Amino acid sequence: MTASSLKSRGSWTNALFVAPYLFVYLCLLIYPLIAGMGLSLFKADLFGGGTFVGFENFARLFRDEVFLQSVANTFYFVALTVPPLTVLPLFLALLLNRTTRVAAFFRGVFFSSSVLSVTIVTLVWRMILMSEGGLASNITALFGAEAIAFLSDPKIVMISMAIITVWWCLGLPMMLYLSALQQVPKDIYEAAELDNASWWRTLWSITLPSVSRTIILVAIFECVLQFQLFGQPQLITQGGPNGASRPIVLFIFEIGFRRWDVGYAAAASQILFAIILIATLVQYFVTTRRSRSEALAQPKVRGNA
Amino acid sequence: MIGPFKKRTPHPHPLPSSGEREFRAVLMALIGLTLMSCQPKSDVTEVTVQRIFGECRANVPQGQAPIKNPDGECEVVTHLLDEFQKANPDIKLKVNIAPWPGYDQLSAQFASGDPPDIATMHMSAMPDFASRGLIEPLDGGFKEVSLDVDNFTPAARNGVTIDGQVYGMPFDNWTQLWHVNMNLFAKAGLVRDGQPILPRNPDELLAQARQFKAKTGLPYLLQPTDNERAAFTRNLFTYLLDQKAVVFSDPKTIRLNTPEARRIVNLFKQIYAEGLMAPGQDYPAAMAAFLNGEGGICLVGTWMIGTFEAEANTAGRPLYQGYTVKPYPMLYGTEQAAFVDGHAWVMPKRDRTPAERAAVLKLMKFLQVHDYDWARTGHLPTQKDVAQSAQYLSLPHRNDIVALASTGKTLPAGVERQFAIQDIVGDEMASAIRGHKSVDAALSDAEHRVNDLLFHVLSRQDR
Repeated sequence: MTASSLKSRGSWTNALFVAPYLFVYLCLLIYPLIAGMGLSLFKADLFGGGTFVGFENFARLFRDEVFLQSVANTFYFVALTVPPLTVLPLFLALLLNRTTRVAAFFRGVFFSSSVLSVTIVTLVWRMILMSEGGLASNITALFGAEAIAFLSDPKIVMISMAIITVWWCLGLPMMLYLSALQQVPKDIYEAAELDNASWWRTLWSITLPSVSRTIILVAIFECVLQFQLFGQPQLITQGGPNGASRPIVLFIFEIGFRRWDVGYAAAASQILFAIILIATLVQYFVTTRRSRSEALAQPKVRGNA
Repeated sequence: MIGPFKKRTPHPHPLPSSGEREFRAVLMALIGLTLMSCQPKSDVTEVTVQRIFGECRANVPQGQAPIKNPDGECEVVTHLLDEFQKANPDIKLKVNIAPWPGYDQLSAQFASGDPPDIATMHMSAMPDFASRGLIEPLDGGFKEVSLDVDNFTPAARNGVTIDGQVYGMPFDNWTQLWHVNMNLFAKAGLVRDGQPILPRNPDELLAQARQFKAKTGLPYLLQPTDNERAAFTRNLFTYLLDQKAVVFSDPKTIRLNTPEARRIVNLFKQIYAEGLMAPGQDYPAAMAAFLNGEGGICLVGTWMIGTFEAEANTAGRPLYQGYTVKPYPMLYGTEQAAFVDGHAWVMPKRDRTPAERAAVLKLMKFLQVHDYDWARTGHLPTQKDVAQSAQYLSLPHRNDIVALASTGKTLPAGVERQFAIQDIVGDEMASAIRGHKSVDAALSDAEHRVNDLLFHVLSRQDR
């Protein structure tokens, strides 16, 4: 057997290691994705049957005010949640990145909300935000103020959804930041200390550049996740009042499972897929380009220690 | 080396080590299980029951009558299924409880080819499932178990009959009602001869609501306004029937942008704007508010009669000896009208053995025989003999509402996607009543959205 045939057989057999994953990936992700794209070109019923309509479902979507409102709602929600979910966990991680018992306790506290299911989270927040008898309204009543309509005012409802979501989702990015902070070599901090670098200077020149890749990861991860908002408005407001809390996924759910118009729902899913893809790519290119140019512009902190 | 080891003398019959003992025990258990699996197949027929009405096992201990809220929907249905199970040890009921209205779960089960053996379904939803061949016609099956369809009340029979075939065992008919806190009504001076004074036109409604609020400091109406769509739709449909308005000119076209609809929505909008209806309440909050005596009238369905009546019989509670219930007072016409729907038990189409089919039919027969028990919840009975019985009519308030079983009207049978329509209409009504949208815009949008939905329903020949 020649060396080249051995090499080719070796590369072939290596593929077997990833075959199970590839099989599952193709069946559960790629096939449904392509099938969904195909379905979006049909007027179809949830229980079978359909007629080919080309791009009519997409044209219908762009005329549908409810869908357009859901797109605007989704962007608004992403803008409300992604910045705090990128920045707040970083601050928490910076505060809790120490080995004291108090820090360990608060790490547990802040992570604990992430393990709750959406049902529990919405149940708890409903009891807090209900304008009649909710905890928030009881507190405002103590001060003689009127209850804030957190869930029934179209101008406030999405902010309420954002508060709930930030509270719920803080834990995981905080853990990612903590793990990134613990990867930063201690000798760099020791060198900065010897140079009498201030806390702010250390944060700005050592810590943030060291965790910049994690910041990008968290921002992209949260962006993808928050574009798929569903459970909170589905369980608390059903998309109301006046459609102000209806995101794209709830629109897709209503069209697909309540109206059984799955071709139309599939078309809306393709639009959501495109939005997430574009937003993620734009974010990735902007942040990586900026961090590369910053890295080139700034002098290296690490000295000759 | 730690030290010299003492040489052990081998035991003539060595005892097994603890690890060996555990291994043997596991082996024996496995052999036992294997042998058990070779026994003849169990004679028990398993049937999957999927129902709504909530979970309340804590109130109905297995094998016992309800220990709390005995006339509540959940308690009665839980007890009925327990009783059936007790009487039929050869049938095992596996009960799934779906959140109301149950169709998200049921639709997904149908789409994945794994529906339950028997399920609850609203009569208004049955045409959607029947026209797609997802539920079985039951005329033949009912004959096999002597389930007499001629005993169904007209409203019930009409509700489960599609294209001349019976598709379900009607469990009840229901409608929304005015549940009245008589203690607060007395305080507001709205009681005459022991009966609540109810309005006969929109002006009287506003005047009485203002009087109630002035005398009690509480809202006249309690109705879920947040996270709720169905209640607003039912109000609209009932008062459109009151005005004899044509809601559907044909099964594919709704008419909502009309003077009749505008009159109703403007009235409720004014009630809301004047604070005569409690704002910011979802369904549980509105029910709790009524139970706690925080409003005069609760607009909710027949299903709450049992629960409210239990409160009226509990000393110390705000409703104690101060509860009654009436059909919606007619504000525009004189003839009593009501938008009604109902619950039925259906048999989803799926592969099943003759024994499973027989078990499902036996359960349906059992539920028909126990129609009175279910009617204790407040729902209208579906069996003529029960509706006319002294036992039923002697239940509290039933004389006031039993006529609705014959006068109540559903949407035209040919209208598909009635639950989706209810969602759209309720969504727009809520926007208009709470002032987020003008009444004209909301009615126009509701009409457009419903007609667009119906226009895009796949035609029967394409399914």
